[in-house]
Amino acid sequence: MSAIKASLRHLSLLAFLCLLSACAATGVREATHNTQLPRHAELTDTPFFPQAQYQCGPAALATALGAANIQVTPAQLTPEVYVPSRQGSLQIEMLAAARRHGAVAVKIPPQLDAVMQEVAAGNVVVVMQNLGFSWVPSWHYAVVVGYDLDKELLWLRSGTYERFEMSLSAFQRTWARSEHWAFVALAPGRLPVSVGADDVAKALVAYEKNTSVTARKTAYQAAVNQWPDHPVLLMGLGNAAYADNDLPLAAATFQHMTDVHPASAAAYNNLANVLLAQKHITQAETVAEKGLALAGDNQQLKSQLAQTLAEIRQSQK
Amino acid sequence: MMMAKRFLSIFLAASLLFTGSMQAVQAAMIGTDQVAESTISAKGAQDRAKIVEILSRDEVQSELVKRGIDPAEAKSRVAALTDDEANNLASQLDKAPAGGGIIGAIVLVFFVLLLTDILGFTKIFPFTRSVR
Repeated sequence: MSAIKASLRHLSLLAFLCLLSACAATGVREATHNTQLPRHAELTDTPFFPQAQYQCGPAALATALGAANIQVTPAQLTPEVYVPSRQGSLQIEMLAAARRHGAVAVKIPPQLDAVMQEVAAGNVVVVMQNLGFSWVPSWHYAVVVGYDLDKELLWLRSGTYERFEMSLSAFQRTWARSEHWAFVALAPGRLPVSVGADDVAKALVAYEKNTSVTARKTAYQAAVNQWPDHPVLLMGLGNAAYADNDLPLAAATFQHMTDVHPASAAAYNNLANVLLAQKHITQAETVAEKGLALAGDNQQLKSQLAQTLAEIRQSQK
Repeated sequence: MMMAKRFLSIFLAASLLFTGSMQAVQAAMIGTDQVAESTISAKGAQDRAKIVEILSRDEVQSELVKRGIDPAEAKSRVAALTDDEANNLASQLDKAPAGGGIIGAIVLVFFVLLLTDILGFTKIFPFTRSVR
């Protein structure tokens, strides 16, 4: 009996010691053992904007945008992201404000490896941390600019510190409290390296709302080069080219989309419109009819194709 | 003041004209977002978003104004959001974490946090160096 008690005591002591010595946070080992990553990377050219009180959001955003060669100051960003009643900035608006300044804002996967992959590829990462606990939260935005896997360290532009050093474990714990929220803000034409096609497509669809046609085309073109058959990316490139009056590119893109996604009524609809703009009326009509047949029971697509067809027939008169 | 008003009305008129012409050009083209909705997002989520959306754009804007944001700025902030984001923002304004930076911790928790900092669980104080 006393033997069991003694071993229990040992066990609890061990658990306590383990807590005290702060065993490496989960996810740190995966990163330090990742052979795909360079052991060390740091983006020393990243600009630094020391934050004013409560203004870590604008400061972090200005840092990331500056790194993407978009010059903007925290003071300019404050009215775009800061919520006075909350004395802080919300995540959704951080992404939206990055887009307002012409950067493609993409959330990256919630893993330490992903942060490092981006840094190694030359992209700084905006992260949200809770530097306190859930019961005394201290929400904070900072920008990861470097790491060292052997020393298990990470460097950030953070608050009033130009090169804030954190152990990977401490970073991982503070970052985990925001559910590992992080994003990159990239100049159009650059792509994140840790993000899949669907999420890049989503980010680009959000991006195209508030941006110039040229930037939009550049951004989609880069993504299509990476993922040549993705339906949303093809649609985006085709539409951007059409809006930019680059009809040959628009036609080629939608043509390719009908080849790789032969069931996509939307691709046929837009191809027909481009052909119409190019004055290939008969061809346009054939394509639109094919699209209408593919629309099936989808009322929205059906009416859109019917309208396209009507416009084509109108132009024949 | 007169100047500002005149400028604003000219600006509004110009932007109205601009949106009008945009729609005319794009009439029969299907937008990228429509394809994205059907290929990437789940069908249910997209229908739900549509229903809420009709209410929310203006609502989100007035909610932002209530929280101390300039009305003109609130308008462009809402305009920068996607439909999904606008919906989410409305419900998150008071709940979602707002990154503001390092707060002054209460004296009582100061020592607790100092200790947890040193152990590497937190990083409140810049001067601490965690044991790991």
